[in-house]
Amino acid sequence: MPLVGNIRDFGLSDFLYLVDRGYKTGCLHLSHADDMASLYFDKGKLITATRKDDNVPVTDLLVRKGKLTPVQATQAAQAHQAQNGVSLSQVLVTLNLIGRDELQRVLQQHIEESVYALFGWNEGEFRFEQGQRPEPTAPIMPTPLAVEHLIMEGVRRIDEWGRIKDRIPNTDLVVKFIEQPIERTKGINLAADEWRVFARINGKDTLAEIARKTGMSEFDVCRIVYGFLTAGLVDVIRKPAPVPMLATGRPLAEAPRVKKSLVTRIINRIRGM
Amino acid sequence: MQTVKMVISGAVNAGKTEFIRTISEIEVVSTERPATDDTRLIKKETTVAMDFGRIAIGDDLVLHLFGTPGQKRFDFMWEILSEGMLGLIILVDSTRPETFRETNRIIDFFMSYRETPYVVAANKQDRPNAWSPDELRLALRLPSHIKVLPCMATERESVKNVLLELLDVIMQRSED
Repeated sequence: MPLVGNIRDFGLSDFLYLVDRGYKTGCLHLSHADDMASLYFDKGKLITATRKDDNVPVTDLLVRKGKLTPVQATQAAQAHQAQNGVSLSQVLVTLNLIGRDELQRVLQQHIEESVYALFGWNEGEFRFEQGQRPEPTAPIMPTPLAVEHLIMEGVRRIDEWGRIKDRIPNTDLVVKFIEQPIERTKGINLAADEWRVFARINGKDTLAEIARKTGMSEFDVCRIVYGFLTAGLVDVIRKPAPVPMLATGRPLAEAPRVKKSLVTRIINRIRGM
Repeated sequence: MQTVKMVISGAVNAGKTEFIRTISEIEVVSTERPATDDTRLIKKETTVAMDFGRIAIGDDLVLHLFGTPGQKRFDFMWEILSEGMLGLIILVDSTRPETFRETNRIIDFFMSYRETPYVVAANKQDRPNAWSPDELRLALRLPSHIKVLPCMATERESVKNVLLELLDVIMQRSED
């Protein structure tokens, strides 16, 4: 069954994280008012994206961008019809009508811009169809795109507290790296301000302290950390309170250390129910 | 008579009352009242105080099950209920991604006080549009050591399985 919801409740960056970490293959369909978009993933990486008004074969796109002549486009389409299970993008490269790197560059730029615009949607229905593949004629990138890169760029375009506060409710939270962030950072290009924040993450300083030390505004620090967080690079945790207190002012009791024999009795009882 | 306590928490309409009702030996003491806020859109009655269920383990030991109210304005109840609890079950309505953020807030709340043994139960797995436990783990960004279990709160075997999995976590932390 498809995963359905609204990006108002479960944001696009959250969904991209799920697709990445779940190594999902399929299509994320998004609709908002009259607009529609479809993002296709293969094992967690983006391979192509189409918008409602721009759902054209890769050859049409390349002709429009001056990278292919109409004659070459026809030649590729004819060659593609004779082949099974091969994308039109692959045929273009095989026929040397365009270099693989050039094709990647043109398609990546086109697809990235399509996806970045989606981060501006505050709401919209989504439906993820597992296993759904794009048409073979779609502008499929030779090299699939890591979504962390998309998330970081998408988050750079967020200019409101509302979405950030969902994950970062206050600036007293401590930022720490996840256990193995190094692998994940490979596909990400950080801007200068992002490096400044990145370099200050030590698992001890709060967001407010990082803002003070970098001389940046708390909003900018939170926005940048929100990007790291959404891309799965860091985690935010509360500063451990010295003595947990109840609202009544009484200290909270420690979690009871129970005997194994007591737990065994409960297990046996529930098994027997 | 020794009593031990488990807490069942989750967002509104996650299935907490049903979960306790399915396993409790006594008629669940529930203070459900007609909903008076936006929860009315989700269910006609919602838990405004708490649910209470009970399982006798023996003549000298009893397990109490407490369901927390789902609405934010009852946060103070969570604190009170969490005191001295043996373990925590976080129920999630797997069909409603709009409750995932609230679920995370609840987990954050309980974990901010101490390292309580807990499991997450992905409820309503029998529904056609349910997110799978694996998908919920990613959506809620739960670490790999936290168990995310399939659950149907209306079925006793399913509820038993969730309780047993939580007890397994508690067992690992218990002392000889």
